[in-house]
Amino acid sequence: MSVIPKETIEVIAQTIGITNLSSDVALALAPDLEYRIREIMQESIKCMRHSMRTFLTADDVDTALALRNLEPLYGFASNDPLRFKRAAGHKDLFYIDDKDVDIKDVVEAALPKVPLDTSITSHWLAIEGVQPAIPENAPVEAPSEIRKTEYKEDALPVDVKLPVKHIITMELQLYYEKIIELCLNKPGSITFRRALVTLTTDSGLHPLVPYFTRFVADEVSRSLNNINILFSLMRLMRSLLQNPHIHIELYLHQLMPPIITCIVAQTIGNRLSDNHWELRDFSANLVALICKRFGHMYHNLQPRVTKTFLHSFLDPTKALPQHYGAIKGIAALGSRLVRLLILPNIEPYLHLLEPEMQLEKQKNEIKRQEAWQVYGALLCAVGQTMHEKVKTFSSLLSPPIRATSRGDGKGMTVKSIKHKASSVNLMLQPQYARRKMAADGGRSALVPMNSMSVDNMQGSTSGFSNMMGVSNSNIAMSSSSVRQLSNENTARREVEGQQWKEASSSILAQAWKDEIDAGQLLQPLSELFGESLFSFLPTHATSVFL
Amino acid sequence: MDEDEILGYVTAYLKKKGFKQTEKVFQEEFQQNKSSSSSNSILEPDIANHLLAFSQLENGPARYHNGYSRLRTWTYSSLDLYRHELLRVLYPVFIHCFMDLVAKGHIQEARNFFNTFREDHEMMHLRDLQKLEGVLSPTHLKEMEFAHSLRQSKFNIKICEYSYELLLQHLHSTQSTTILGIINEHINFQVTSGQPSLISDDPEAVTLTGSSQEAANQTNQKEIHWGLLEDSLEERLEKAGALLSDSEKGDGEAKEGENDESKKRSTEVGKQGGSVKKIKKDKGGSATGKSAKPEANTVSAAPRVKPELPLPIIPTEVEHSILDDLRNRVQLSSAALPSVSFYTFINTHNSLSCSSISHDGSLVAGGFSDSSLKVWDMAKLGQQPSTSLSQGENDASQNEQMLGKSGEKRQYTLFQGHSGPVYAASFSPLGDFLLSSSADSTIRLWSTKLDANLVCYKGHNYPVWDVQFSPAGHYFASSSHDRTARIWSVDRIRPLRIMAGHLSDVDCVQWHVNCNYIATGSSDKTVRLWDVQSGECVRVFVGHRGMILSLAMSPDGRYMASGDEDGTIMMWDLSSGRCVTPLVGHTSCVWSLAFSSEGAILASGSADCTVKLWDVNTSTKVSRIEEKNGNTNNRLRSLKTLTTKSTPVNALRFSRRNLLFAAGALAKNA
Repeated sequence: MSVIPKETIEVIAQTIGITNLSSDVALALAPDLEYRIREIMQESIKCMRHSMRTFLTADDVDTALALRNLEPLYGFASNDPLRFKRAAGHKDLFYIDDKDVDIKDVVEAALPKVPLDTSITSHWLAIEGVQPAIPENAPVEAPSEIRKTEYKEDALPVDVKLPVKHIITMELQLYYEKIIELCLNKPGSITFRRALVTLTTDSGLHPLVPYFTRFVADEVSRSLNNINILFSLMRLMRSLLQNPHIHIELYLHQLMPPIITCIVAQTIGNRLSDNHWELRDFSANLVALICKRFGHMYHNLQPRVTKTFLHSFLDPTKALPQHYGAIKGIAALGSRLVRLLILPNIEPYLHLLEPEMQLEKQKNEIKRQEAWQVYGALLCAVGQTMHEKVKTFSSLLSPPIRATSRGDGKGMTVKSIKHKASSVNLMLQPQYARRKMAADGGRSALVPMNSMSVDNMQGSTSGFSNMMGVSNSNIAMSSSSVRQLSNENTARREVEGQQWKEASSSILAQAWKDEIDAGQLLQPLSELFGESLFSFLPTHATSVFL
Repeated sequence: MDEDEILGYVTAYLKKKGFKQTEKVFQEEFQQNKSSSSSNSILEPDIANHLLAFSQLENGPARYHNGYSRLRTWTYSSLDLYRHELLRVLYPVFIHCFMDLVAKGHIQEARNFFNTFREDHEMMHLRDLQKLEGVLSPTHLKEMEFAHSLRQSKFNIKICEYSYELLLQHLHSTQSTTILGIINEHINFQVTSGQPSLISDDPEAVTLTGSSQEAANQTNQKEIHWGLLEDSLEERLEKAGALLSDSEKGDGEAKEGENDESKKRSTEVGKQGGSVKKIKKDKGGSATGKSAKPEANTVSAAPRVKPELPLPIIPTEVEHSILDDLRNRVQLSSAALPSVSFYTFINTHNSLSCSSISHDGSLVAGGFSDSSLKVWDMAKLGQQPSTSLSQGENDASQNEQMLGKSGEKRQYTLFQGHSGPVYAASFSPLGDFLLSSSADSTIRLWSTKLDANLVCYKGHNYPVWDVQFSPAGHYFASSSHDRTARIWSVDRIRPLRIMAGHLSDVDCVQWHVNCNYIATGSSDKTVRLWDVQSGECVRVFVGHRGMILSLAMSPDGRYMASGDEDGTIMMWDLSSGRCVTPLVGHTSCVWSLAFSSEGAILASGSADCTVKLWDVNTSTKVSRIEEKNGNTNNRLRSLKTLTTKSTPVNALRFSRRNLLFAAGALAKNA
């Protein structure tokens, strides 16, 4: 009948010394007890409200009892809410967890600290309706605030952004797991190849990209000695890179380290049995692909890559496979970089390499083989550069006038370099000038040159007439160099990175000199590499240069 | 008397008189009768049992249960159009069924009945149900005030003609006489012809006012002079033309609109055919409205009334400083929100039971459950307090208190005198006096200049929940657990007026701006407005669903805001006695309400650790327009919610320059 069982009444009766309470009396008392308790609690809630609190304390109950002229309850004096514990096995039975304390402990214990006295601090909750962001104020993005925004203000709709939770669908999860499994366990299978095709073409994979990049990064560092896995990982990467629907550039910072590792790592797989050279070639191409695609968006991308390569190329303490990787990497990035970074260093480098290649000096078969590989890579890089270079000339070169035009051209360009250098110093806008040149193309490129030469009236008039007078080859040459420059526009910054010390004008001069020196370079190169280099050059050009 | 006994007496009498023949015949006859009656008596108990069983069936607790559940199913399946009207009938029927059951002693059945149908009413009447839940014996019913008043008074339910017909038809056709009886006994139907009322119309039907609806209506018809006092400082300031700045002129249009509106309102009231008094009053209002200059602000648009109490004279230097404040007042609007300075009490150990801020924000008082009252002077707080020798004038104990045990001076002034938790504190308008009320049923007046207790006012018999100085000073009002509110003046130790009428504790009290009225909020869920001079109740505002915790009067005297323990704030029009608009947004008790000095913004502080700013003008205007359209979908404009760092907001105060001060105790576990 009542929520209070009659046993409770009996227990209470026993505590005040009534042992023979009949159960009828107990039953009759129980509802009344419940009513009284409820009454007291109602009064205590009133007292709680008037004490401006939202939780009930023992004080409130005492005050409510006092209102009825009843004795207060002793032993519960505390301003903190009481800590109730749920009785085990009972859903709604609670008790206060009172620990037994030895009176000796209490007596002997040091006096507790005097509680801090009440005080007031003041701060600005709002200044003209705006809450200043000071530590006294609640942070604006408090969760309670979010809850309240619904009815917050008609005038000021607040857009609270919740932290985004990345959710991928079941299908994608399955797909991801399948790909990972194939990649690790069956790298050579047809299924994997098909999987790679889907990776290249599927448009819905974007949610998985962070997981893939993460996976590749982790896996590369873990399985550096398993070339098959590395290869499949690189293939996976290439497929993702080729997928036009994915914005993989957002994850480049995560992608680049594993790929570069695959190029310049000291040891990849088994040094003897595995063909790690191939992996290095493959990864180098991958890097070149990335640089080509995203180099214009992230200007420091290519400089950082080349710096890494150059670092391992110029460090003689590095192992030969690392050198190989570096050379391959640079070569993959284009002949321009080869000219800039490898050619100046090629002579001392070959001096170092030569002993390694010779049977009598390097007894270690493996090392010798590696040296030969490096040599091959070097030859390949230089040869390709030369080939490209010569190709630009070859279409224009006709043996009879070549000699004169060369001479004139040389004299002419040296002059224009000077003009250019001075103009750069004057205008301090090399970028602008070059961009204009690039935009206008070869023919109009002459015009800025022309205008520059006005600065230096004396020499330039002759130079100008000279220029106009000379053969087509000269024009073509300058136009080609302009084209070269425009290509370099993007590459320019890493040039600066490499040769920071030099002023931009001298870089330009260097670039032009490189151009001119192409022919002259061939000479020492052929000396260094011997006949093998000529295989890269068209026959008639070879004959011309020689 | 027993039959055998009678028989004994009769035979004894016959023997005594010597009627032997008669005795014989009597005996014989008796024997005969006995045998025949015994044969009869075989049949009789059967019939009696039948009858008894029948009557038990009629009287039994099941009929309440069945009757109510039948009515309930019928109501829920009735037409949508009339359902909400019929639903209102259910609650009174429910509680009276329950109480009938209890009164007849069917406790177990009453419990079952209550628990079965309790959910239906929990949303609207949770608190009442909680009260009734504990009623477990007929004696409780007699004892409990709430139940008593429920039994005594009738519920008033507005219902349209058709719904009423439907209901009666249903009750007759199902022959549920029990329910019909309850309805006849406890519900007073106000049958209106025409369309059924809207759902949102009013929850009035559910709150008891202690008197019949007619009486309450009559109360609300009484005349109220809600206008401002004549010759107030604001008025003087305007006359001086000090407020006539360019920025003020920009507001001119809006104010003119306001005036127009009041004119419209007056004509409207006239058309409605309200009481003659009302028309007269509103005419008075609009007349002053017309005469008001366009550059006058909203406050001045209100009509002027004469004070009914002799008011104290304000010293000239104080007057000057107030005028200065008024001149420098920041104009607030929905676009220009106030700055809020927050005073946080720290290390209170949950013992802060009230706080109060003086009118200029320089003094902050905190009342504690350890009976102490502490006052901080915020102006001195930053500075190193200088040891003044003038302290010697006060008694020695005070001096002792001023110095902490460690010898360093306390930051606050400690006022000791109460012997129970201090439930309210109120500064006088000039800040030189402080009133406090406590659970020891006394009110004490303290001087902040002398740091001493001046007077102890004894009159209430129970804890005094609230006390407030009148806007003019000198007078103050208090409210208590003894269900009365009292008006006092500082120079007398006995109350001047006692306002009785609330059915439960009077929880808060608020003076009207013109000092002629006080408003009281109570645990009986009503707010009442009392005439100070006559001590009569002049308005009853019904609509809250929980106890009223805070009240505020708009500076133009026309509106009143009240906040309850559920977090609802209601804006009332004093003259009509109707709720203008409910302001919903707080999730917990609204401890404090404050209107800005020119009345454009209402600030509310709540236990949910927020201060909310509400746009008063749009709130009142929009709803008025909607009222005209017959659309009472009250949408309310909350301008801003300012969240504190787990500090429930106990007190709010707009300074005369419209800087908002707020205070609260940091609660770590809140």
